[in-house]
Amino acid sequence: MAPPWLDVLDETIGACVTHRRPDLEARLREKRAQQLDPKLRVLVVGESKQGKSQLVNALLNAPVCAVGDDITTTVPTFVQHADTPSAALVRNASARGSIFHTPTERIAVPIEQVTKQATAQHVVRAEIGIPRALLDSGLVLIDTPGVGDTRSAHTASTFATLMQADAVLLVSDATGELTSAEMTLLKKVMEACPNVTVVVTKIDLVPAWRTVVERNRALLARAGVRAKLIPVSSALRLRAAKTGDQRLNTESGFPELVACVQRDIVASADLLARRAVAVVASSALTQLVTPLREELTAHDSSRTVATISTLQEAQRRVDELRRRSARWQNVLNDEMADLISDVEYDLRDRTRKILREVDKTYDEADPAIGWDKFEQWLEDNLNEAATTNFAWLMERAEWVAAKVAKNFPVYREDLIPGSVLPDDLLEPASRLEKPKIEPFSIPQKLFTGLRGSYGGVLMFGLVTSLAGMPLINVISLGAGALFGGKSILDESDQRLKRRQAAAKAAAQRHVDDFFVKFSKDVRDSGRHIQRSLRNHFSTLAEELQETLLESARSAKRAVQDDQTERERRMREGRKELDKLITLYKRVQALGGPTMELTA
Amino acid sequence: MTLDRVVWSMLHEALAVYRDSPRATAWLRSHVERYTEPVRIAVAGRSRIGKSTLVSALIGDEFAPLSSFVWYRNGAEPRAHVFSGPGRPHEVTIGRRGSRHHVEIGQFDRADRVVVDWPARTLRDVVLIDTPSEATPEQVLGDADALLYLMRHVQDDDLKFLQSANDHPIARTAAIHTVAVLARADEIGAGRIDALSSAKQIARRYRRDVAVQPLCQNVVSVAGLLAVAAKTLREDEFQALRVLASLGREELEDHLLSADRFVGEQFPVAMEPTVRQALLERFGIFGVRLITALIRQGFDSQVKLTGQLVQRSGLGELRDSIAVHFSERREILKARSALLALDVLFRMEPRQNARKLMTDLERVVASAHDFRELRLVAALQSGRTKLPAELQAEALRLVGAEGTAPLARLGFEYEADPREQREALLDALVRWQAQAADVHASHDHRKAAQIVVRSCEGLLPQFP
Repeated sequence: MAPPWLDVLDETIGACVTHRRPDLEARLREKRAQQLDPKLRVLVVGESKQGKSQLVNALLNAPVCAVGDDITTTVPTFVQHADTPSAALVRNASARGSIFHTPTERIAVPIEQVTKQATAQHVVRAEIGIPRALLDSGLVLIDTPGVGDTRSAHTASTFATLMQADAVLLVSDATGELTSAEMTLLKKVMEACPNVTVVVTKIDLVPAWRTVVERNRALLARAGVRAKLIPVSSALRLRAAKTGDQRLNTESGFPELVACVQRDIVASADLLARRAVAVVASSALTQLVTPLREELTAHDSSRTVATISTLQEAQRRVDELRRRSARWQNVLNDEMADLISDVEYDLRDRTRKILREVDKTYDEADPAIGWDKFEQWLEDNLNEAATTNFAWLMERAEWVAAKVAKNFPVYREDLIPGSVLPDDLLEPASRLEKPKIEPFSIPQKLFTGLRGSYGGVLMFGLVTSLAGMPLINVISLGAGALFGGKSILDESDQRLKRRQAAAKAAAQRHVDDFFVKFSKDVRDSGRHIQRSLRNHFSTLAEELQETLLESARSAKRAVQDDQTERERRMREGRKELDKLITLYKRVQALGGPTMELTA
Repeated sequence: MTLDRVVWSMLHEALAVYRDSPRATAWLRSHVERYTEPVRIAVAGRSRIGKSTLVSALIGDEFAPLSSFVWYRNGAEPRAHVFSGPGRPHEVTIGRRGSRHHVEIGQFDRADRVVVDWPARTLRDVVLIDTPSEATPEQVLGDADALLYLMRHVQDDDLKFLQSANDHPIARTAAIHTVAVLARADEIGAGRIDALSSAKQIARRYRRDVAVQPLCQNVVSVAGLLAVAAKTLREDEFQALRVLASLGREELEDHLLSADRFVGEQFPVAMEPTVRQALLERFGIFGVRLITALIRQGFDSQVKLTGQLVQRSGLGELRDSIAVHFSERREILKARSALLALDVLFRMEPRQNARKLMTDLERVVASAHDFRELRLVAALQSGRTKLPAELQAEALRLVGAEGTAPLARLGFEYEADPREQREALLDALVRWQAQAADVHASHDHRKAAQIVVRSCEGLLPQFP
């Protein structure tokens, strides 16, 4: 009849299969095969140099394991019963590969050389068979490399072997109490195999070993570890075996250890199996239950939480968009108003400078000469003013676009419009009118000269007639010539002034025309720019809003959908969990550490 | 300018820069003071590993362990002070119970530190700091320039401690302050009579171990109890041991099988169990075995026995190691501590006008030749830099791995006259210059050769 723990174990394996945990399944199957094996594996573990190999030797009264002052044991050594002494090394057939699941080969070696050759590469373990009554019942002692050695490969192989153990002897020497590292090791061992006995070795060396043992007991009690503690001395035992001294044997503490091994390990193999299965199965079940329970409480709601938070996020972004679109509109209006007034001022400033230049020029120059040149100059200057001003407008407009974009709620590639330029710009203003220029012709000059000279001839003729000279004489004629010359000069001067005034007025008029026309153009362009920017950005904003609203709507739908799906999953999960917990309770009933596990 | 002069002037410069900060000034003052003191060596390790025993062995007088930091300094006459919290230290008496000296700290149970002034030859070159086992690496190394780390077999925890002791940029570039000690060497090999020689072999193996080597300058094995016994063996104890040795070997062996048997009821010679108990406590079962064996082998006077025990216990080797790695390198260890302290200060109180000092610090750490030498030693010993075998040995010697005196560097076993030394030096210089210029050699090889050349050049002025 199959023992009761087998059913439970098989069911647990089944649960592992359903929950798709092949790793746990493999572990449990290994344990199952091992438990069905009639052999009882007792693992001897401990930190390095605590006397593990010597303990095995002393237990068997035979130097099967190598002992030395430096790190000696490098691979696990399995010591079991055989009718004749024999030994073999097991090594990976392939040169590399992990300890598990690689084909291995056994090589028979002479028993006295086994431990020497065990240091060779790729050796996974050594197997030794000797005829001993203690091993008769299928007991296998496994000597392991020390834990916590600097060469981590040793530690790793020890932990790998730990999985196969039915019982564990934890070795710590009496030169010091259990260290924190050893307590950690003990706890780790307990997780894989609950049947632990602590062996305190080397009590022959330490006068105060009893205190150490007491302290160790207290330490174990404080850590809540129910493990037996046996002080022994391998040196005394080996010597007793050599001399046949019974008293010495008793002193060595080994009879108690052997009795303990036989009573607690060999005789109660079933209990050990139950306990071991309980521990392994409950650890596997805990691993199954934990994610399931998380799924029930946290995980499934976590999806809802995720969808709800998506919804909230979407709504938040819609609000944000609304709030910020007011901002970008304000920015656009303010900036454009500023822009237009700045640009207009700039234009006025530039035209005023041109006019001042014109005034200065025609204070001196005669418009009659080189008017064409002047006209050209004026046109050029006005054109330049217009272009500069307009370029500035464009620059500022782009800057405004960038600033608005910065105030826009999201960033996109096409945020800044490609062109804000209106198409119909810079139509030439009206032509400059040529001012009326009155030429001062020769007959006019003659007439004016005659008119001027008339007074002079008369004035001086009368005066000289008093002196008895005729009215027309040399003097009067000379004075007349002088007067005539002066009036010609005066007249031409006045004409020049008139011409200059006319030219200035013409220029003024032209510039005014230009200003009026161009400032209107500039204003129009400004408004045009403003309008196109506003259109551009509001289109973007609308698109964005639509996207956000859509995502908010879909999030809302998702939340609703989730609800039904979740309820269904919840029901299934609960059923599964209940099943696992029932199984766990049965495992617990096998005997093992009691851990609370509830739904 | 040598490293220690540079660092010394940096300390004073820092004092000037930070003169308005009382905390920084106090910190710098303490380091200026410390700069001229002997090397401070902290003795650390797990609990019950034998820290106090080792300190006692080094001093040559046995002190009872205390649960706080205990500093042993050289002093004209024995005195002890307890520093507890702020305020002035309290002077306490040093009593004596049996063979042990007790510092009567009485009510100051949780003292910050206890400072013992003690007349001893060892303490002329070093200050020893016995640390409590629960102290963190930072606490242990805060006040110490060097570290003696005690362990049994090297375990992961030990490596972790040593790694964190080096876990600082400056400490890493100059990991020159640790000697590892395989303590309780007598317990290795289950107390067999040849335990000490196998412990020495294990120490030798660890010296080559890739995990251990970069973390410490050397590994030595010491049997603490024996070492203390060697230094403090009393006449009555010696007589008792002689009586034991007079027994037949077989007969005694039976009673030395275990500690219980040795103090047991049936004992072949008339000797009080309390006497036997005391012997056991002082020397351990291994000690009794070894000493009786030695007496039988003819070391039958106390002087002979003491010499033999000092040598066998590994105390001699430990002392040599301390001399080569710590006392002889006092300047560089002090400079290292000061650089670490400056670094701490610059991190805690960064200042605009300390910029120059900070760059100086970086430059010194990166370029000091002494550090480079030690880094090369570490690189060569750990195998990070590989040289052909015969060159490697010579390079190690020339950069001072076996001692920094010219004789040790040049590899003279005897007192060679200056002319001879000069010739050897020039010969080495020319050869290593060729190595440094060898285009076929690897980059590491040439760099190592450059450092060796620089070391040789540094020796030149001593032989005009």
